[in-house]
Formats: sequence, structure tokens, C-alpha cells
Amino acid sequence: MADLQDHPCAAPSAIGEFDDTSDGLAEATTPAEVDIERARVLLAAQLVVDGHNTLAQELDRTHWLDLQHGSAFLDTDIPRIRAGGVGAQFWSLCVPPGPAAVQETLDRIDAVRTLIASCPEALRLALTAADMAQARDCGRIASLLGPVSGAALGDSLGTLRAYHALGVRSVGIAGTRWTADPAGLTPFGEEAVREMNRLGVLVDLSGASGTTMDRVLDVARAPVILSHSAAQALTPHAANVPDDVLRRLRGNGGVCMVSFAPDQVTRRADRPATLWDVADHVEYVREVAGPECVGLSGSFGATADAPHTIGLEDASSYPNLIAELLHRDWAETDIAALTWGNAARVVREAADAAQPA
Amino acid sequence: MTAGRFRDEARELLASYPVVDGHNDLPWALRQYAGYDLDHLDVAADQTGRLHTDIPRLRAGGVGAQFWSVYVRTGMAGDDAVSATLEQIDCVDRLLARHPADLAPALTADDMEAARASGRIASLKGAEGGHSINNSLATLRALYALGVRYMTLTHNDNVPWADSATDAPGVGGLSAFGREVVREMNRLGMLVDLSHVADTTMRDALATSEAPVIFSHSSARAVCDHPRNIPDDVLALLPGNGGVAMVTFVPKFVLPAAVEWTRRADENMRAHGFHALDTTPEAMRVHAAFEEANPRPVATAATVADHLDHMREVAGVAHIGIGGDFDGTAFTPAGLDDVSGYPNLIAELLHRRWSRADLARLTWQNAVRVLRDAESVSRSLSSRAPSTATLASLDA
Repeated sequence: MADLQDHPCAAPSAIGEFDDTSDGLAEATTPAEVDIERARVLLAAQLVVDGHNTLAQELDRTHWLDLQHGSAFLDTDIPRIRAGGVGAQFWSLCVPPGPAAVQETLDRIDAVRTLIASCPEALRLALTAADMAQARDCGRIASLLGPVSGAALGDSLGTLRAYHALGVRSVGIAGTRWTADPAGLTPFGEEAVREMNRLGVLVDLSGASGTTMDRVLDVARAPVILSHSAAQALTPHAANVPDDVLRRLRGNGGVCMVSFAPDQVTRRADRPATLWDVADHVEYVREVAGPECVGLSGSFGATADAPHTIGLEDASSYPNLIAELLHRDWAETDIAALTWGNAARVVREAADAAQPA
Repeated sequence: MTAGRFRDEARELLASYPVVDGHNDLPWALRQYAGYDLDHLDVAADQTGRLHTDIPRLRAGGVGAQFWSVYVRTGMAGDDAVSATLEQIDCVDRLLARHPADLAPALTADDMEAARASGRIASLKGAEGGHSINNSLATLRALYALGVRYMTLTHNDNVPWADSATDAPGVGGLSAFGREVVREMNRLGMLVDLSHVADTTMRDALATSEAPVIFSHSSARAVCDHPRNIPDDVLALLPGNGGVAMVTFVPKFVLPAAVEWTRRADENMRAHGFHALDTTPEAMRVHAAFEEANPRPVATAATVADHLDHMREVAGVAHIGIGGDFDGTAFTPAGLDDVSGYPNLIAELLHRRWSRADLARLTWQNAVRVLRDAESVSRSLSSRAPSTATLASLDA
């Protein structure tokens, strides 16, 4: 298992002078062992619901990977998910825009469902918050399907319902024709949001424009999620969320799951993104949106050599972040809300808001 | 031919062994005429004159199970076909949710029996044409997961991996990927439907399939020479395979005089700029004018019975069934005008001295058995992993 003290992070020695350390950024960002131990104890009780993992797109090209026993080729495998204290995972089914997006989405749903079926000891399909809790209580990683790309609805609510019937529980609405509107949503876009609410499919705002986010919050009858967004105020990035939307999350009851992606959290031009930056974003979102509206999104599922935030290089690294937050005097109740409570509540409330046909 | 005195006996028979119909295009009709607005065309009410199908007439017709076709036009390709298929599936699911007292969702043979026992119409889904999966076995699995229990390998046009009966020869039957599609359907427990496919495809599929196949709506080539019908040598393969050929009523396939008439009518439609299968009001007006000048040869229940006599002779009584193709055809035989007509066909067969045991197999038992056998083959293949083959990897 990944021993955090021997973390294979190749931090160049040239950046060793940062933040009162001469031993390199990687070592500097490694929290004290005592905090990591406390983080592990906390996570054992309140596992992480992670908002975004793109492993499915790697499954397309790498049938030979053995996720159950670990694969150094990727940043995600089952031993590292378990070591990271992840108890529930949203598996992203997003596909690039194109003429076969619907078929490719069905392929991806099939790939993830096949993965889940092939690892019954580790993964369990979850359609509801109750399924999430049950999987966790059985020592399985609750696996939620979503988001699918909004563009892969093919502008068809029948297709949305088919995805829902196949187990999909969130739709990323960025990049659709019906969000590219001065009002934020076209009338069809409003209907799509209402239909997602009616079905109990989460509307995922990550990557959408501020106008679209605002319009969705006007229309939505259920909590929304941002499956992988950090704070726009700290790091300007297309997938990050502006303050006014964060403030509106409180009223909506939604959750912003803070991304670990380096380009979304980097705050300084003079050094690469580190887990401190992620901790800053998490604190900022808690501050602006409130402690009940913040969650975590490792945004893993890439190859191991893809850019990663220092200190958060793979799916086993959540305890590092929790340790940092403990070091910053976060209350245990806030950490429990951050890791499991908020996301599980949003899944539950979206289902509660759904109506039978 | 009058068979009226047998009609009471037919109804009584159907009360015990109702019809499993292999193919009904109501979902496409609802898409075309109502934009899927189920209030606009409410099948709980009598829709005579607008549709061949509604619940009162299904009841009157003694229908106990229906494979609802989730057909999409072959003009649709790629994602358009996949997405439209999902919409068709959604339409069926909404119909079933709307009429729970009459339509019972069915995924298995046991579900069919349970629906019959509870007096509801078992409702299954069948996809019509390989274009619905856009060359993807994962998409095939998605259709299965959404409840689709048969797929016709082609519609009127070839797909890259299978030849249609009504298109020029392409891969010459099934390609390597086409055979993999059949194997994956066997693994899933989805019936392989050979209506619409070329003779070469029928033979390749029968040689490949580990499970019984169906013809969801095809009649006998020897009785009426049309490529949509089944040649005798293929009918003769069904006992070995265990499959079922479900006779269709479509006049232009079952009545030789109608074959020729249709050829001329289609020419007339094309001359007026319509697709031959267009059933919009404008197209139907053109059709009506042609019919005015050229009286349409009328098929009857007896015409269909001629096919069944022959199919029973060649394939055997355990390998025949019924697939009317209602709401998928502009014209229907006299006496089989809509889904309330099945008792007339049964009465005709009683008149021809078909035994009650044979009729029970024709209407109910064979079709239920074939799904049960496909489920059993699927279980026996449970150690086989989902196929990751692609068109490119097998047919390069």
C-alpha cells in the first residue's frame, strides 16, 4: 500500500526553498504523522463521497488493467481508493462532444457497470442514499453513475429517462446547446432541469457559466451539485464557481465538491499546486457557501503521469488533506459533513424531490 | 370464407391461451402521430380509424402478450438511431406506467405467465434493426438492460455486419462481427430475430446461434414469393434450433396478387415524391388515389391461414407463432383489420380442423417456450465475459 512517507512524488529539489523547508515541496506538504493518524480515524467513521473520477475513459483503452490488485499505470485502483477512505464514488461517464455521444455514453455506462459487476467484493452499484449507506456498511465502495455529459442527451428527454433507467444519477449540463443562451438556459434547458428534478437526477453545474448556474438555481426544485469545482475567487478557471453562486448554494441546499485538479486550484505562479491550495479552496467554499455545502472531488481517474496536485497524487491521498484541515483546526463535525454528510444528503434530497411519472 | 360459427370457440380458446404477438409498431405510430403525447392518442380509449391498436381492442382480440417494437427508421444512422431507440423504449415504459391494470411489464417467460395469470397483457420490447446499436455491443447490452428482449438483425437496409432481405448483398450474410453480435445476444438472453434479414443472414445466424431464434413477423416464401418471407429450407431448420416463425398479416407479403400491386403502388408513391412506406395523411391520399384506379387485392384471414398450414407442415407445430405487424403496415387483411381480429384467424384455423392443442401452441406456448429457452442458454453461458469486440477489430 502507498506509504505516505515514501510517496513517489518527484518534487524537483530546485523548489526546496518554499515555505520554510529545504527538503522539497513534497515533504513540506506531507502533514505530520500524528495528524494523518487522526485523519484516518476520522475517515474510518465518515468515509469520503468523491464527486468525480474519470476512470471510465481509461477503461476504454485499458482492458488489461487489474484494478482489484492495483495498477501503477493509473492514479486510481481499488486498494488506493480503500486506503484513501473513499466510501462512495461518482464515476464520470462524460464523453467528448461528437456525432456518437449517445452511443459512447451507453458504452461507458456498460463499462462501469461491468467493472462494478466484476469487483463484487469492492464495488456496489448505488442508486440512492440508502444504497450508499448500505454499501458502506458492507465494506463496499458505493458506486454512483454520473455525471453523463449533457450533450449526450441528444437534446432528448426520452434519452435522459433511459440513462436514469440505466442507473445514471447526475448530468453535467455544461457544453450543451440549451445552456448556450444569454438567459443561461433555453426553454428546453429549463424543461430538462425540471425533468431531472422530477426523476431524481442531480443537475451538475461544474463547468457551466455563471449565468447558467444562476438560472438553474432559479428553476431547480432540488439541490444541485458541482461535481468538480473550486473557488473562482482564488483561482480563475472555467470550471470554478463564482462567489455569488456559492452564496446561493446555501438556499438551494446543494454541494460544491472541491476539485483537486492542479489547474483548478493553483494559486501561485512560482510553484506547482499543492494540497495547501486545495485546503485553501475547501476553507473558502466552506466560508462562503457554508459548512453544509462543501464536499470533495479528487478528480482522479487519469494515468499516473498526468499532472497532479502535490500531496494529492492519487486516490489514496485524502487523509493528507483531512490532516491538513485538522491542522487548521477544523471541527470534526465539519469534516464529517465535508467528507460524507453533505454529498449523501444531496443525493437523498434529490430523490425526495423526485415525483412519480 | 365464413368461419363465424367457430368464433365463440376461438374466443374461449384465447381466454386460456391468449395470443403472444411478435411485432406491433404502436410506439412508432405514437411518435409519428402524437409526438409521444399519450394524452393526445390515449390507447385506453377506442382509437379505431387512427390506430390499429388500443387496449379495448387488444382485449377483444385475446392478446395476452405483446412484443412492442422500438423500431426506428433506417434513414436514421449513428447516434440519431440510438437516441430514437431510447425514446421508443421510454415511450413503451411510459405506456406501461400509465396503464398498469392492463399492461404488465415483462422481461422473462415467468413474467409472461404471471401476466396471463393476473389477466394483464404481458408487455415486452423488441428492437427492429441492428442500426439501433450503432455497431456497439455495449449499446446492445444497454438495450438489454432497458428491457429489450429481441433484436431484428436488420430492417430494410443492410447494416455493416448483416445483410437485409430487401437490400443488395453486402457482407453476404453475417460478418465476423455479426456472428459476435449473435453470440452476445445469446449470452444476454436476447432473442435473435430473423425477420427482415436476407436468406444468407438467416442461415448464418442459425448456424451461429446457440439459442432458439425467432421470426417476429414473417410468413412462408413457398406460399407467397416475397423476400420478407421465410424459405422452406430455413423453416425446416427451426426444429433443430427450437425457434419460432411468427406469421405476419401484411397483405403485400402474404398475398401474391398484392405483391405485384404493391410494386406498382410503390412506384406511384415514388413518382409523387414520397417514400414507399410513408403513412402521413398526405402520402395516404396519394395511395388512396392509386387504389381508386387500381382496386387493391384483398387478403383475408384465410390467406394467413394458408401460410400457417404450410409453416406447420414444414417447420412443425412447435415452431410457429403470430406476429401481426399492426400499426406497422398501411393495409391489413379483411377480418384482421386491427388487433381485435385474432379470433377470426383462430376461427379460420378451427374451421380447417386445427386441434385445440395445436392452437394453444401457436398462440401462446411456443413463444413463451422460446423466451424461456433463450434464458436458459443465457444462464448456461454465464461464465462467458461480456464481449469487447468491435466492428473494426473483427471485420477489418
